[in-house]
Amino acid sequence: MTLTIWLHEARRAGPAALLAPPAALLFAAAIAVFIRATNGSRAQAQTLLLAGLEAITPLAVAMVALTIVTRESCRELHLSLPTPHLATIGRRLGVLGAVAAVLCLAYAAVVALAGYRTGSSGVAALLVWAAPTLWLAGFAALVAAATRSTVLASSAVALVWLAEQVWASAFVGSPLLRPLFLFFTSRVGDGPGWAANRVGLLAGGLLFLAVTAAVLSKPERLLSEEDA
Amino acid sequence: MTALLAVARYEFRMQARKRSLWIAATLLGGALIVLQGDRGPRSLPVGTPAREVMGTWALLFAILMPLAYGMLLADRLVRDRKLRVEPLLESLPHAPATRLAGKYLGGIGACALPGLAALLLAAITELPKRHDPALIGWALVAFVVVTLPGIAMVAGFALVCPVIVSVPLFRVLFVGYWFWGNMLAPDFLPSLTGTLLTPIGDYGATWLLANGHTALFAGTPGFLSFLRPDPSAATAALSVAVVVLCGLIPLAAAAVVAHRSTRQTWPSKA
Repeated sequence: MTLTIWLHEARRAGPAALLAPPAALLFAAAIAVFIRATNGSRAQAQTLLLAGLEAITPLAVAMVALTIVTRESCRELHLSLPTPHLATIGRRLGVLGAVAAVLCLAYAAVVALAGYRTGSSGVAALLVWAAPTLWLAGFAALVAAATRSTVLASSAVALVWLAEQVWASAFVGSPLLRPLFLFFTSRVGDGPGWAANRVGLLAGGLLFLAVTAAVLSKPERLLSEEDA
Repeated sequence: MTALLAVARYEFRMQARKRSLWIAATLLGGALIVLQGDRGPRSLPVGTPAREVMGTWALLFAILMPLAYGMLLADRLVRDRKLRVEPLLESLPHAPATRLAGKYLGGIGACALPGLAALLLAAITELPKRHDPALIGWALVAFVVVTLPGIAMVAGFALVCPVIVSVPLFRVLFVGYWFWGNMLAPDFLPSLTGTLLTPIGDYGATWLLANGHTALFAGTPGFLSFLRPDPSAATAALSVAVVVLCGLIPLAAAAVVAHRSTRQTWPSKA
């Protein structure tokens, strides 16, 4: 019964929830292969493979997460059911998180077997992709739940992601902004400050998800005819 | 022609009235004003030519604001299918291409409003400091040369691509493309940055600066060298034309597919 519900919610999450994370990782791997095939350096390929985990996957997961929160064509029906709407959205986000986690683990293993390095080793290697993914997906879900607008939420996610890429040095240089910097491993490395950055991202992501849950616990706030 | 104008006008009014367009554009434009640093237009010394000032403002806004336009237009065709009104729209007497072109023109018009407003506001706020009325005129030129072609290209892809790859995946690809194809240094990775194909308006902004420096990477050696001529007035005009034409490619493909689809389904509808 439980598995049936999870499978149902996986379908309701939409094909993008299942396709976006592998598409992001395949995209990064394909460009890395292209670079090596066109006599690009090994360092360039390694940077791209790492970017697939630390930059592209979090963006893909965040865009799908905000879609899951805002897109529900029969929300009124859900509100009339005994299952809390928060649980329904939580399951769909859980499916997305599980798909992303399995694929990132497999991707990191294949990359390591190919002889490329993607940051720390051991359990800490999980934080290379888990911390920025949790932070950005939590942020996306929160903005989506608070504004009820995919346009606003996706613009906010795009703003954060691109601003951190373009003004990376400002984020690294500021003690206030450093815990929010998503691309620490690929831009700075996994040396001093990396662990604190990852802990900051994890804490921020959990906080965002907790606030999102608080907003979703009053699902009547999500009732709207269409994206305003 | 009447049908095209009617669709375009309706689409324009629908989009221009969306709060999310204005809030997202304000959010992204505001972030750029805050984050511009000492290389931004506010740091240009008094006495800097008006065209350079407004070229720098136009480029600054082009860094992020088109993202809002792409996000807004991404669901315009998908929405018709989602709301199950597509068969109704297909039953109307005008061709599917007319509806597509009308949505494209209306979407461009609506997205151009915040782009133009941002540049005019920037010019007005610069006036008390620089005392040069030509700022307003150059704001309009910068809008035509830098802002509008980028919107046209973004609109073409944002309308059509989500039908093929889904809206969330398009949004991911669009953000990734915007960074890779407009701002990533061409010596770091093979990218379209610095070519005639950059919708950020690199060539147009470099022509406006007219100070011997490139705005970002226009003409910088790299991948696809034949698309990287030296920046000049002629190459700026060529870049505008190429960028606009690029935006028409997905529209043309979608129009052909829609036309064939209509012809194939016509007997069964009859």
